[in-house]
Parts: sequence; C-alpha cells; structure tokens
Amino acid sequence: MNPTRVRRAARISGGIIALCTAILAVDWAVATYREPRDESIVKHLQEEVREDPEFAPKLEAENDRITAARLGRRQRGQAIAWILLAAAALFLTAVNHLRAARGLRFVDLDTLKAPPAAQRRKRMKPATNGASAGASTEAGFDTRFVDELVALHGRAKEAAIPILQAIQTHYRHLPDEALRRVCDLTDITPAEISGTSTFYGQFRRSPVGKHIVRVCHGTACHVAGARQISDELRRHLQIPEGADTDPKRLFTLEEVACLGCCSLAPVLMVDEHTAGRLTPSTAPSALEDLEQREPA
Amino acid sequence: MPKALRLPGVVLLLAILATAPHFAQSIYYERPVETAPQEETIGDGYKTPEVQKPLPRHFWLQWLDVLLLGAAMGAAVWIVLARRRRRWLVWLNIASLGYFGFYREGCICPIGSIQNVTVALADPTYSIPIVAVAVFFLPLFVALFFGRAFCGGVCPLGAMQELVLLRPVHVPRRLDQALGLLKYVYLGLAIVFALKPALSRDFLICRFDPFVGFFRFSGEASMLTVGAVFLIGGMFIGRPYCRYLCPYGGLLSWTTRLANRGVTITPDKELDCGLCTEACPYGAIDKMRAVRRKCLYCARCYESCPRDGELAHAKEELIEIGGPR
Repeated sequence: MNPTRVRRAARISGGIIALCTAILAVDWAVATYREPRDESIVKHLQEEVREDPEFAPKLEAENDRITAARLGRRQRGQAIAWILLAAAALFLTAVNHLRAARGLRFVDLDTLKAPPAAQRRKRMKPATNGASAGASTEAGFDTRFVDELVALHGRAKEAAIPILQAIQTHYRHLPDEALRRVCDLTDITPAEISGTSTFYGQFRRSPVGKHIVRVCHGTACHVAGARQISDELRRHLQIPEGADTDPKRLFTLEEVACLGCCSLAPVLMVDEHTAGRLTPSTAPSALEDLEQREPA
Repeated sequence: MPKALRLPGVVLLLAILATAPHFAQSIYYERPVETAPQEETIGDGYKTPEVQKPLPRHFWLQWLDVLLLGAAMGAAVWIVLARRRRRWLVWLNIASLGYFGFYREGCICPIGSIQNVTVALADPTYSIPIVAVAVFFLPLFVALFFGRAFCGGVCPLGAMQELVLLRPVHVPRRLDQALGLLKYVYLGLAIVFALKPALSRDFLICRFDPFVGFFRFSGEASMLTVGAVFLIGGMFIGRPYCRYLCPYGGLLSWTTRLANRGVTITPDKELDCGLCTEACPYGAIDKMRAVRRKCLYCARCYESCPRDGELAHAKEELIEIGGPR
C-alpha cells in the first residue's frame, strides 16, 4: 500500500482519537459542573411546589430537561466510543504497517548492554594496567568489559579463545574496538586475533541482519550464474567489501552449498521463502517480494 | 525450580485443583423481595415494571465461556509452541478482546475470580458459581504445563495492551524486578479486602480495573483516565499492567515455574545474534534463554528470528555455549 496514504490514515485517525477524547472530557466536565446546580434547582423547585402547586409543571419540565440531557450524554458517549474504537483500530493498523515497511529500528546493543554489565563488574578488580581501566579508546566504546575479561583470563596467548567467546556472548558479535583493546592489553597479536576470529564458525565479526539471505552456490546454481547473483545483491544492498550484512542491518548474505532445488537454479532463500530462476536483474526485486511476504 | 521439587509440586497443585471446587459451594437463591412494597400495598393501580432484575446468564452459556477459555488457551499454546507464528496470535488476541472483552464486558475473568474464590474458601455462606471456580483454575492448570498461555492468548486486558504496543522500550532489569514486586503487594491487598466481613468487603481488583471501563463504554472518569494512561504508556512499555500490577499474573508466574514445556529460545552455535532479546518487550529473555515465568506468549522472539525456518521444530534448549557470563 502507498506509504503516504497510510501515513495520512494514521494522522487522520490519530486526530479523530484526540478529538473524541477531548469531546468526552469536555462532556464530562460540563456534566460534573452542572450536576450540583441542577440538583439545587430541583430542590428549590420542589420546595416551591410544596408551597404553591402552580409550580408543578415547571418542576416537571426541569426534570424532563435534566433527564434528556443525561440520556443525550449517554448516547453521545456510546457513539463516540464506537468511533474511538474504529479510529484506534485504524491508527494501530496504520502505524504497525508503517513500522513494518520501514523495518525494525534497533536499539544499539552496546549502549543497551554495556552499562549494567559494567556496573555489575565494578566491584571486581580492574585490569592489570590499572591506570587505563575504564578509559574509552574510541568514541563511546566502553572498554571496561574487555579489561575485566583480560584480568580474569590473563594476558597469555592461550586466553585468546575464552576471551573471544566471552566477547561474543556479551556483544553477540566481535566489535573491532573490543578486539583492538584485547590486542593492546595482552600478548595476543592482531594477526592472531584476526586468524582465530575468522577461522571458527562460532565467531562473527559483524552483527547479523534481520533477514538471512542464502544464495545457493551448488553446482547447478554455479553453472547458472550464482556468482553474478551474489555480486548483484551485494551491490544492491550496498554491502561493503569483506562484510556480509548491509548497513541498515536488514539482510545478511550467505553463500550455501545446495538448497536442493537444482531445477530452479539459480536459487536463493530469504529466511524460509525460496525464489528460483533468478537473473541478476530480477534478484533484488525477488528479495523485496520475499521480505514483504512476512513483514516485521 | 529444582528438578527434584517438580513432581511433588505438580502433585500438590493437582490435589488443590481437585479438592478446591468442593469447598466452593454452588447455591442458587432468589433474593427475598417480599419485604419491598408490593403492588397491593402501594395501591392506586400501581403496576410493578416488568423486568426488575437482569436475568442471569444461562447456565450452559456460562459453560460455553469456560469452553471458549480453554479452547483459546489451547490455540495459543499450539500457535506459539508448534507453529511459532505471531500473526495468528494477533488474530487470536483480537478475537479474545472482542469476545471476553467487549461482548462479555470483561466479566467473568480469572483475575477478578481470585477474590471470589478467596471469599468462597473463607466464608461458607458465600455462594460461588462453579463456573467462576473453573475460570480461576483453568489458566493455572495450563500454566502448570505450558506457561502463561492465558496472558498471551486469552486475557482481554492483556490483548488490549498487546495490540497498542508500538515501539517497545527495554526496562532496566533492576527496575523491572522492583516494579514486578508491586503485583504481589496488590495480590495481598486484594485478598485482605476480600476476606473482610460481608458488609465492609471490597473487591479491589474489579474496582480498580483500569480497562473494564473501555469494555463497557462507561465507568468512573478517574478509572477511565488511569486506563488511558496505561494504554498510552503501553505504547512504549510492554504491557505495564500485566507485568507490574496484575495479581493473577503473579499466581501464574508461580505455577509456571513448574512448567516443563514452554517458549524455548534455541540459539545455534554460529548465530547467537540476540535479535530475539531485542525483540522481547517484556525482558523475558535473559542470556539468550527464555525466562518462562516472565514470558507472556507473544511470539515476537520467533517472529524476529532470521533462522526460524530451521529452528521451527527445535524444541529443546541447547546447552550453554561460550565462556563465562
């Protein structure tokens, strides 16, 4: 659906919600203001009627007016409630639709996870070279976590894998700043870190995207041009050299051995949806079609 | 919950479930209206208006409610544990909101039935329909095996908050835990007030239900305002009433500790990406594992999983991977 129209729908329904709430609030305020006044009028009239029966029709008229006003308010309330319900449903649908189209916006993991962890570990002894404990190397990167890991595992080369595993579980990938900090603090060289972290499948150097795109590079797909499909997707998603995830963190590109549907070669999968008989020109649109099939 | 305690715990709870309905008597009575002025005593050809009291809901319709409650919980368990589809759960939520919320006007609900059951256990003269007992125990019974399926699939209060949640914010863990204690205070207060003698007895949970006014299209202005505040806050903080105030949620999270099936997060060795932790608005995923007593069965974790196709039928939790935590 057209996003500008959806946005307009969201804005209009939001306006209706605000308007209805305002009407209800004003209605309620007027009613609470009137209630004691009406009561005193009725009481006054009742006293007058007791002295002089001529006032009876006036009292009745007043009673009728109050009843009519109360019934009217109730009916208004019911009608507004239905409108509110419909507007709220429209508003929620529209906003959810917009959010799905824009993709999930992520809260930055480091800002989210680092502070509590750092506080929890504050009581532990700081790193070996205490002077720089807690200092930030790069803008906004908190090194305390790495410092404590080094204090825990030691500075020897054997500590590389436990340290990397701990960093991976903490940040869910290996941020470059953290690795640099490890090199600064320990005897492990950048080359060794790089070798270890790229050799094992359990380590990731970049956070994973929302969708995983598996491009088949089996024999049939290879012959049918899987290389060109992968290259075109990289260009389309603007995935930088050496990385596998686009900057918006929506897609992670993988090359897999075989998806088992060679008659459709070349094939790719977005999450669990498959698209076949691709060409470099149709692959990006297939990606979008498949992604939209299961919106966020 | 240690494994050794699980079996005795289940047996004890089943025993309570089996015996409790016997204590909760079911007495049908007619209010004695002879004391009120009758047509003859008033005279002047006065006619009593035809329907003076609302007719009680038909007995079988009440059982239909119980049946639907059970069916909806079964559907929630199936959708979340077997199908892992959030989209279907949203439709279940809308249906529950429509039936248990707007059509049944938020009554009878297990949250409020805490008080009825309490009073019935303490006061032998108080009559409680057997349906109220069933409604109270059924979600607890399901939670004993599968976790809080009631919260995610059936509860109209929860469904309302679930549907308005637009941009979830992660509540800091400490604050989350501290606020979570409020619901036990509320539970205690509700029981204390329900146990008072008949004339000063008060059903706090029902009186201060922030959402029931919406279901009935009427209510005190103050409670409607509180409800609106909860809904607006609920756009950013996931289900604030359920997590911090709902006394029944407290009971359910206790029984859920015994559940041996429920939502499982299954990170694989090469993709512990944590997108599920990001997606959970209720802070119910800790160190990449589901915390079942907090899990409200929304299936957002499964929806966010890039490898869901592969893991859809992986029902066992993997052992912990990686170094020290």
